Amino acid sequence: MNSQVELTEDRLDPPARLASFAAMLEDEGAVASFTGRARGKAKDGSLVGALVLETYRGVTLASMQAIVDEAHEKFAISRSHVVHRAGRILPGEPIVFVATASSHRRAAFEAVNYLMDRLKTEAVFWKREEYTGGVYWIEPTVQDQEDTARWLQSEGKENARN
Amino acid sequence: MVASGTRIELCGRLADGCGPFVDLLLPADGVPVTGLISILRGRFPALQSALSKGRIRACVNETIVPDEAFVRPDDLVALFPPVSGG
Repeated sequence: MNSQVELTEDRLDPPARLASFAAMLEDEGAVASFTGRARGKAKDGSLVGALVLETYRGVTLASMQAIVDEAHEKFAISRSHVVHRAGRILPGEPIVFVATASSHRRAAFEAVNYLMDRLKTEAVFWKREEYTGGVYWIEPTVQDQEDTARWLQSEGKENARN
Repeated sequence: MVASGTRIELCGRLADGCGPFVDLLLPADGVPVTGLISILRGRFPALQSALSKGRIRACVNETIVPDEAFVRPDDLVALFPPVSGG
């Protein structure tokens, strides 16, 4: 297993991260990546001034690493890279970058999907949107929980040949 | 039974009511997480609503523990409301 997991308060540059990731590949035939960005509008249309992500000591990074380790157990991926921002993030800025590589495409796609579902519901972060008039804490929705739960229904190494 | 002060860190929205830390006197042989949360509800009325909403988990010495685990006075303790990354 070859994984790199990082927590940073610095601005994140997904194209540069993806280029670095791709430069480390050997004979993998597939690379998939995802970038999450801070939205400028809340669900009710209010303008968001900033998204603030809080963490807790070493527990946040450990929770990310545990999720990544389980992705490597579950999917036939050879390499992964996960970077998560913490602190104050402005609308339009990247929050999270996830990349995986595998011999065949399905494992890389699915592993990125899995990583994001689990980061949404299990990585130790607390997110709040800041508005002119106050703050709103964001917690996982029912849909987020269902997205994570569906992975529990399948076991074992998947998608080695797709 | 000797009691001593323990600082509890309140993470995320739990800090809105009383700030990020509260101090409690815990029995020397500790209390289960569920008991700790009950004590906090009693001592800090401003936390009642936040502690009743969603699943609150305890982190003891940088490990998330089950509700029946014991929290002792010398432990490094934090309470986590539901988490959300990504």
